[in-house]
Amino acid sequence: MKPTPRVVGAVALWLVLEWYGATSEVSWLFLLGAWVAALVVVCAAYAWWNRSGLLLHLSVAAVRRGEGSPVEQLPDSLLAHGPLPEPVFEGDGLDLEVGLDAPRGPRGPAWVSGSVAGRRIQLGVGLVPRTGWRATQSLGAARRGVIGASGWRIGTSDPLAFFAGTRACADGEIALVLPRFASLRERHEARELEASVAAPRSGAGSEMFGVREYRPGDSLRRIHWRSSARHGELVVREYEPPGLRTLAILLDPAPPSTELADQVARLAASEAWDCVMDGGRVALWAPGAEPVNPTRDLWSVLEWLARYPDAASDGSAATSPPRGEEVVVVTASPNVDLIEAAELSRHRRGWVVGDAEVTTDVPLERVGTRWPL
Amino acid sequence: MKAPRLRLPPSPIEHSAEGRALVFSGFAVAVLAIVIYGQDYVVPVIGVAAAGAGNVVSYRERSLKRGFWRQAFLATLVFGALFYVVADSSLALFGGVLPQANFAILLVAITSFDLKTRRNCYSSLWISLAILYLAAVYAWDYTFAVLVAMWAACLAGFWLASHLERIGARLAAPRRALAFAALATLGLGALAFVALPQPAGVPISPLIVSLPNFTSFRGDIESPALPLVQIAGDPAGATKSVDLHFRGRLGDAPVMYVRTGAPAYWRGLVFDTYRGGVWTAGIQGYREMQPYVPPRFLPAAPPDNLGTFVQTYRVLRPLPGVIDAAYPVESLYAPVAALREDAYGTFHTPEALKPGQTYSVVSYLPNLTPAVLRADGTLDRLPDHLRLYLDTGAMSARAAELAAQVTAGAGSYYDRVIALTSYLQRTYAYNLNLPPVPAGRDPVDWFLFDVKTGYCEQFATAETLMLRSLGIPARLVSGYATGDYDPVLNQAVVREHDAHAWVEVWFAHHGWVPVDPTPGVSPLAATQFPSHWAAGGVAKLIPHLTLGVPMAALGSLGVLGALPAALAIAVAVVVAFAWVRRRPWTRRRRPAPGENELLRLYERAQRRMGRRRAPPETPREYCEAMRAGELSELTDAVNEGVYAGRWPTPERVREMASGVPAKSRRRL
Repeated sequence: MKPTPRVVGAVALWLVLEWYGATSEVSWLFLLGAWVAALVVVCAAYAWWNRSGLLLHLSVAAVRRGEGSPVEQLPDSLLAHGPLPEPVFEGDGLDLEVGLDAPRGPRGPAWVSGSVAGRRIQLGVGLVPRTGWRATQSLGAARRGVIGASGWRIGTSDPLAFFAGTRACADGEIALVLPRFASLRERHEARELEASVAAPRSGAGSEMFGVREYRPGDSLRRIHWRSSARHGELVVREYEPPGLRTLAILLDPAPPSTELADQVARLAASEAWDCVMDGGRVALWAPGAEPVNPTRDLWSVLEWLARYPDAASDGSAATSPPRGEEVVVVTASPNVDLIEAAELSRHRRGWVVGDAEVTTDVPLERVGTRWPL
Repeated sequence: MKAPRLRLPPSPIEHSAEGRALVFSGFAVAVLAIVIYGQDYVVPVIGVAAAGAGNVVSYRERSLKRGFWRQAFLATLVFGALFYVVADSSLALFGGVLPQANFAILLVAITSFDLKTRRNCYSSLWISLAILYLAAVYAWDYTFAVLVAMWAACLAGFWLASHLERIGARLAAPRRALAFAALATLGLGALAFVALPQPAGVPISPLIVSLPNFTSFRGDIESPALPLVQIAGDPAGATKSVDLHFRGRLGDAPVMYVRTGAPAYWRGLVFDTYRGGVWTAGIQGYREMQPYVPPRFLPAAPPDNLGTFVQTYRVLRPLPGVIDAAYPVESLYAPVAALREDAYGTFHTPEALKPGQTYSVVSYLPNLTPAVLRADGTLDRLPDHLRLYLDTGAMSARAAELAAQVTAGAGSYYDRVIALTSYLQRTYAYNLNLPPVPAGRDPVDWFLFDVKTGYCEQFATAETLMLRSLGIPARLVSGYATGDYDPVLNQAVVREHDAHAWVEVWFAHHGWVPVDPTPGVSPLAATQFPSHWAAGGVAKLIPHLTLGVPMAALGSLGVLGALPAALAIAVAVVVAFAWVRRRPWTRRRRPAPGENELLRLYERAQRRMGRRRAPPETPREYCEAMRAGELSELTDAVNEGVYAGRWPTPERVREMASGVPAKSRRRL
């Protein structure tokens, strides 16, 4: 807590009152002066009290879907396991909830300031009730990646602003903006054919895949009693069918520009989407990056791609490319490691984003940065 | 080389409507004080109306650029107001009571049309404070404190509104905390006011503009002790003498208010010649002076004086043109055309003092204690100019013999004076209902040997003449006693019955020293040392707080007198019942060590996972649903604590905390 120029004014007022009181011996001037001095002391105590007991709250209040957002395509079962409160894709708008919590009782006045997604925000409030204070700020169309909160500070003072101070809050992530994706089936008939051969997810493997509603004919041993009790209807376990394909997506570790990186992420997400919808598993890999092991969890794939290429840029992880029945390489530059890894696979294909000259026998399709393709 | 322009840093535009309303309210409070205490109505009413309109205009156009012609017009109006104050204060063209206050009111009203920035608002508030200060010249009661508190509340409100506007918040604050802070401020301020000394400084000299003076003093000596001595046919009290044969009636009506740093006698006229029961002033010399008399024109400061103190007088009823003040005077200022100082150090005004008139005097606080005066020594050789003060007139030998007899045992000069003063106080009774002095009788002899009762003139005259018979120079002084002195407000209400007469005795090294032989007061009538601690004054008031009057009032109610006590008991019972009903009687279970820590850690972990545990979800289910293996240890600990009552130690909880995900995914 530091005194503001108003303290100087108040002290000056007190001294003037004392001086006038001393030279005129008008006693109420002394009384007024004493009140002014007492006000400064009380305000210092108030400011010290107000400083403690306030916590910053930053969260996504709502997501405004942009045109062509992939959310429309996502089944409810997939959305139920998505990020909270709901997934954010590039192009979506965000309503940011900024607030303060006062668990120890009402506080105020206070203000918060900081940056979210590069936008400077400052908000103030006179009273922070025990239930907390919230304000909503609309953010524009989000770009892929982390929406970070940085440089946030909580400012507090006494009501008359004699003493004010700020304290820093830790930087953090507000949301992770996932890359957009769309089905690319129509562009790859061969893969579509292969996908149709794959069994739907109702096999009899040993690894538990998930749960679904009971259908006549299902074995009673498969009933998941706890989930059935919670949902009020019979629910059975689903087990992974054997022999599903695994798609390995190999990505350029250092695309030349952000736009190219975005397009690489979109293509990879689209490939993953098609694969997961066909019941397959997806592995992600970029030279030097911590890979994503084969998984059916689309969200973990999208989150990895949302952080791409930051997740791949440190180059510290020395891992070998994942094995898969099929390999798809997505690159924007002629990366030797990437091409060599792709060439090891029998079923391989790839995407080249932009103008990069890539020499390989892997069948490549060249695209620009426009989306959808 | 171009000289740099000296400019204040830019002040932000004040967007707070509430803040502006409070600025206007502060001004209205100050104007209300002028209306109440200055009894001035025209300019204040115009000023408030104009300022109200001006504030509205300023708020609406706060974001617009200032126009040249409006600025020029407002500047012209300011100069017009300046002309008004000069004309009213120097030439009395408009007969305003408070021209300075009126000027300040007009200034605020004019500038309120250009109240754009926060600094402008501050200017308006400070001028309001100046108006309040001007009103304080006339304010002598506790009601004024309410106005001061209202203005201070406006200032604090403006600070609050302006601050909240700056941080972009609505006008709101924690009410209980704010109320507590306000009470703490009032209490702490009052405590500081009572406990801390109030320093006395050198008073501010007024700015005097000397204009051509055609003053003519009317009359000669006028008795300020009106109606101490009433002479038939002269209701104004103008007189050259004090006649002991007559006595006027003294009422309770206030004559003047005195705001003073120390209680004192307000000295007026001095009489040195006594003939046939009548006192007159023998020396007729005068010295004309400006309205402000600086210290250099007045006698040197008394030796070893204790400093100075200020008095401000406000006349409440027509009084003779005599400046009553505590003596010796260091400097004085009276807003009149000129002043005249007589041979006894008393100042006179050209005309009678009118109700509402004020003047200020700075007086020395002489160091007159018995020890100091006893050390003054004996008057060895009488200066020639003091021989006049040894004239006993026609005092009888019997009175002189009594004086010698009373002071026979006293050793020093001072002891003889005090012995005689104490004798008169002890032996004679104070009585205002005295019959007229019988024809042919000397009033002093009649008082000393016949009726043995009298009022202040009898006592003072007898002592003066008896001291003179002992070779001690003395003279009679008239004026007012201190009056009803309020040590908290530092002011005295002087009423008609405070008109008084006492004696001044010459001491070789201290000059004229006041002595009062009237019973019931201190023999040495020196100014009391001022109490610069309000607490000192409050302490003096405490002995006067008795239950006599309230108890008598209650007793007069008879059986109904029990009503207040019954009401108080009823209220106490209701409050106690409410407290008993609201008090939680069940004792809360004391949490086990580590319980609170573990549950807080579990709450924090849920926040960091981005989803809270649903009510029907068990901790184990939650852990599995979140696929958070790092929570398994914490989940087990929670289950064991809740269901088995085995809580981990706080140290163990701290260890577990390191395993909780450190970073939030979507929420800070």
